[in-house]
Amino acid sequence: MKRALFLASSFSALAGCAQATNALNESPFHNVLELTERLNHLVIGTRGMARLYTEADIDWNFRTNSFSTPSDDRYTRLVNDGFRSYRLLVDGEVKAKSVYSIAELRALQYLAQITRHDCVEGWSAIGKWGGVPLHTVLSLAQPTPAARCVVFYCFDRADDGTPYYESLDLHEAMHPQTVLALDLNNHPLDPDHGAPVRLRVPTQLGYKSAKWVHHIELVAALDHIYDGKGGYWEDQGYEWYAGI
Amino acid sequence: MDVTAGQASSAPPFADSQRLVYRHSVTTRVTHWLTALSLLVLVMSGLQIFNAAAFLDASDKTDPAHRVLSIDGGQTASGANIGTVTILGHTFTTTHILGYTDDGMGGETARAFPGWITLPGYQSLADGRLWHFFFGWVLVLCGGAYLIVGFARGDIQKLVLRPADVPKLIPMQLYYLRLRKEPPHYGKYNPLQKLAYTLVIFAFVPLLILTGLALSPGVDAWLGPLPWLLGGRQFARLWHFLLMLVLLGFVAVHLVLVLSTGVVNNLRSMITGGYRLGKHEGLDA
Repeated sequence: MKRALFLASSFSALAGCAQATNALNESPFHNVLELTERLNHLVIGTRGMARLYTEADIDWNFRTNSFSTPSDDRYTRLVNDGFRSYRLLVDGEVKAKSVYSIAELRALQYLAQITRHDCVEGWSAIGKWGGVPLHTVLSLAQPTPAARCVVFYCFDRADDGTPYYESLDLHEAMHPQTVLALDLNNHPLDPDHGAPVRLRVPTQLGYKSAKWVHHIELVAALDHIYDGKGGYWEDQGYEWYAGI
Repeated sequence: MDVTAGQASSAPPFADSQRLVYRHSVTTRVTHWLTALSLLVLVMSGLQIFNAAAFLDASDKTDPAHRVLSIDGGQTASGANIGTVTILGHTFTTTHILGYTDDGMGGETARAFPGWITLPGYQSLADGRLWHFFFGWVLVLCGGAYLIVGFARGDIQKLVLRPADVPKLIPMQLYYLRLRKEPPHYGKYNPLQKLAYTLVIFAFVPLLILTGLALSPGVDAWLGPLPWLLGGRQFARLWHFLLMLVLLGFVAVHLVLVLSTGVVNNLRSMITGGYRLGKHEGLDA
């Protein structure tokens, strides 16, 4: 369905010159509509904790709703060697650049929580996500005072070659429930669910929970990264603040 | 207006009757039209958002076992395009209207609500959300301004249904149904108007806002009891949709009454504020 979303968003790009209503969706009017995001971020923000569910609530056949398993050569090699050569790089505005294998990530700290995944499309599913709290990884990397945002680079690409990426502000990244998930429903993530490492942000919509993460970069600003909106879906017009 | 001796039996019950009065404040008039615009945009962009997941479940997570409504489209085994609406397990064919319908770009495609009723017309969840959240704030800020100024001026106090109005509700309805010759005595608003406006302002619109907020993971983390009270996130989506239908029902009745009870007088009162009182109306009650 995220593929459907992707198609839908390319529809809106294609329709650009054909539709009278599109004039209303272009600058500067569009910029006015986008102001709402800041207001929503200010009012709703990242307060409180996502509800924790029980084993009885779990969707054992958790919906996959994204690009299929990445066709990237690097990713295919990793799948073939069981992710033994996978390394997560943490760099950017940090004092201690770090690199982790899957085993090293598992040894850091392990948190399993059963939370609801809410898709921007409107559906919800419940899964048990286990992995390293992101704040643990970030604390070890020691962000510099310049660090404002955390960017997640992923293995997958859109059909046109655009890499998938996501970002959170430092506050959202340090939320105790924001996790680098390694397991789903008591099993290591499979390639369709984002193996070997995916972000899991239960306080925001599903598109923030990037799959197939291989590189985390702390940055002072997002505007120099790809189209500058802070993520693949954000560059397609979705809000960077996805708490609403 | 003078009343002749022969018509004395139908003399106006209020001294003010049939006078031209200043009925609606600038705040009421401006917020009325901005609210009307907001509701139009919110309904149309809401249907756009609905199209991204064209089903409603009475449950917390998505659960086909608790499906109340779904709108589906595609091809039959013989390759013909088909659109269907399924309500509580009963399926109706709605090809060209719902499910398989106007794509907003001059053709037809599998989508729940047609392009002519969504904002934007073409399928774009991202833009639908921008419109929805922007006009959500317009509605909230308008409603807030209307309530604050309205209370300060005493307008709201005249609009709210009070215990003394309750016995007049049935006689008023009988009058509307032409089963009663004269309405009960009332002031600026008749008892049924008070009931409708009280429900809309203090129940339906606040519930629409709350059920919408309950769809947000950020709000759910912050105000956990809210989605719980509504039966869960998907249930909140169902409530949000049903309340939208209730509000559309109110708007439909509102428009019928605006048109049937002196459309010029009614529109003038909401543009310049000037309103000619009817023979049963007074300035206060």
